[in-house]
Amino acid sequence: MFPKPERIILYILLSFFMFISVLPLWTCIMTSLKTMKDVIYTMPVQPPPSPTLEPMREAFDIMKRPLLNSFAFTLFATIFSCILGSINGYILTKIRFRGSEIVFLLLAIGIFIPYQTVLIPLVMTMSSLGLYNRIEGLILTHTAYGIPICTLLFRNFYEDIPDSLIRAAKTDGAGTWTIYRRIILPLSSPMFAVAGVFQFTSIWNDFLFGLVLARGTEALPASVALANLKGTTTAFWNVQMAGAWWYALPVVIIYLILGKYLIRGYMAGAVKG
Amino acid sequence: MRFIKDKINTLLVFLPSLILVGYFVYASIGWNAIVSLSDWKGLRPSYNIVGLSQYAYLSHDPVFWTSLENNLLLISLFVPGSLFLGLFLAILLDAKVRAENTFRTIYLLPFALSFVITAALWAWMYNPSIGVINTLFEKIGLGFLKSGWTTDSSIAMYSVILALIWQFSGYTMLVFLAGIRSIPESQIMAARVDGASSLNLYKRIVIPQLKFSALAAFVVLMVFALKAFDFIFILTGGGPGYSTYVLPLMMYRETFSMTHFAYGAAIATLLFVIVMMVVVPYLYMSSRRGKE
Repeated sequence: MFPKPERIILYILLSFFMFISVLPLWTCIMTSLKTMKDVIYTMPVQPPPSPTLEPMREAFDIMKRPLLNSFAFTLFATIFSCILGSINGYILTKIRFRGSEIVFLLLAIGIFIPYQTVLIPLVMTMSSLGLYNRIEGLILTHTAYGIPICTLLFRNFYEDIPDSLIRAAKTDGAGTWTIYRRIILPLSSPMFAVAGVFQFTSIWNDFLFGLVLARGTEALPASVALANLKGTTTAFWNVQMAGAWWYALPVVIIYLILGKYLIRGYMAGAVKG
Repeated sequence: MRFIKDKINTLLVFLPSLILVGYFVYASIGWNAIVSLSDWKGLRPSYNIVGLSQYAYLSHDPVFWTSLENNLLLISLFVPGSLFLGLFLAILLDAKVRAENTFRTIYLLPFALSFVITAALWAWMYNPSIGVINTLFEKIGLGFLKSGWTTDSSIAMYSVILALIWQFSGYTMLVFLAGIRSIPESQIMAARVDGASSLNLYKRIVIPQLKFSALAAFVVLMVFALKAFDFIFILTGGGPGYSTYVLPLMMYRETFSMTHFAYGAAIATLLFVIVMMVVVPYLYMSSRRGKE
């Protein structure tokens, strides 16, 4: 496509941007393997002269419980929001009813709302339900705010399943739920992978809901624990970076193994933040 | 009979979602709007309606204008910055690059990470005394470029924007690359046969067909520029002073640090209205486009 010297420039540019992308991550790993003395006397980009796992161990002790909390509510909220999204997608594309377009539009708006707008009612609701500082409260919250995006993902997917398939089953006397169980659900596994991976990483990465709904240790998410760690270990960059690494690990593993599903989620007009 | 039972069953399984979204999205937005009309200050809720006075206070609050200005700065620098860098990366990667997958995977990785992590990473990058950027500058003889990236109030917001472009340009690259790949090969071949140069090929054939990719990415970035919270909250906490305050951060501080609930609710309502001015036309447009 390009003549020769231009190809060299191309690869120089690509490598330069790769360097920029990786630099913060590289220094994070290097710093997390250093003693405090090395942090001060070596450059952040340099590998540690005397590598140590002590910061990793120290950060893990602090992050252990929050990581477990995050894992618990992320898993359940992912499962619930995907199931509800799949059912909604099916109803909105294959059953339809008067006003189903409007219902979909109202659901879709839920994807984009700034969560600040619902924060005060959310905190009030969770305290009056006795779910403040509870894993269950975070499951409920993440499920509710996950429904819009999951509905969108499944609806777009089900739109491509031919209606003739559904009509044929109906003529054979199959009811709405038999069709869902026998025809739709078996075809949905790729979309469950996309929505599941997408939801798992977004809920795992969330900070705002955890910040306002879980102050104590009982339900403290890893995101908030990491932010706290940053506050309490100001000068201990090695422990902070090790903490960041522990919290990033599940998402990095998912990204490297199931990246193609995550990308399909991002492409479906998904939103972050 | 069977038909009616089916209808009721359908409604029954649809109901939990409708109730959850109806309550946690729509009823909550309404509730928040009512709070914004009250005089609720302090931990004890008050629904004593006093009208629009919170909004009147807002218009005289310099912190509000600083925050709004910073949101607008995000819109005017972060949004086009991420779009152009992403388009540039997509065009580079489209040039039949070896190991394209490796490059793509690495460029997109920052976007997959939580803002809590990227903010922690950039706090270390920007640390003025022993951080990554300043020590690197010193090492390569550019010591005069050393700055208080997040401690100097005149450049702190630009440091935030730079880091966010770093995190988002992998995403815009992905959107544009998918857009480029969906252009039929035959069109590109035809232009080549006509002797179009690479530059002309992109200018005349490829880029004009990326309007819908660009629009989708634009809306996502705009909404983010208005909603940005986590990253700024952790990296600078809004400081130094109020120099990196944005509306969502101001709302959080007013509400949860200072317990000015009515005031926070007013900021939140305003934020909601601004975001909807971007989102509703887009959803309307894309639903019409879907029907065609």
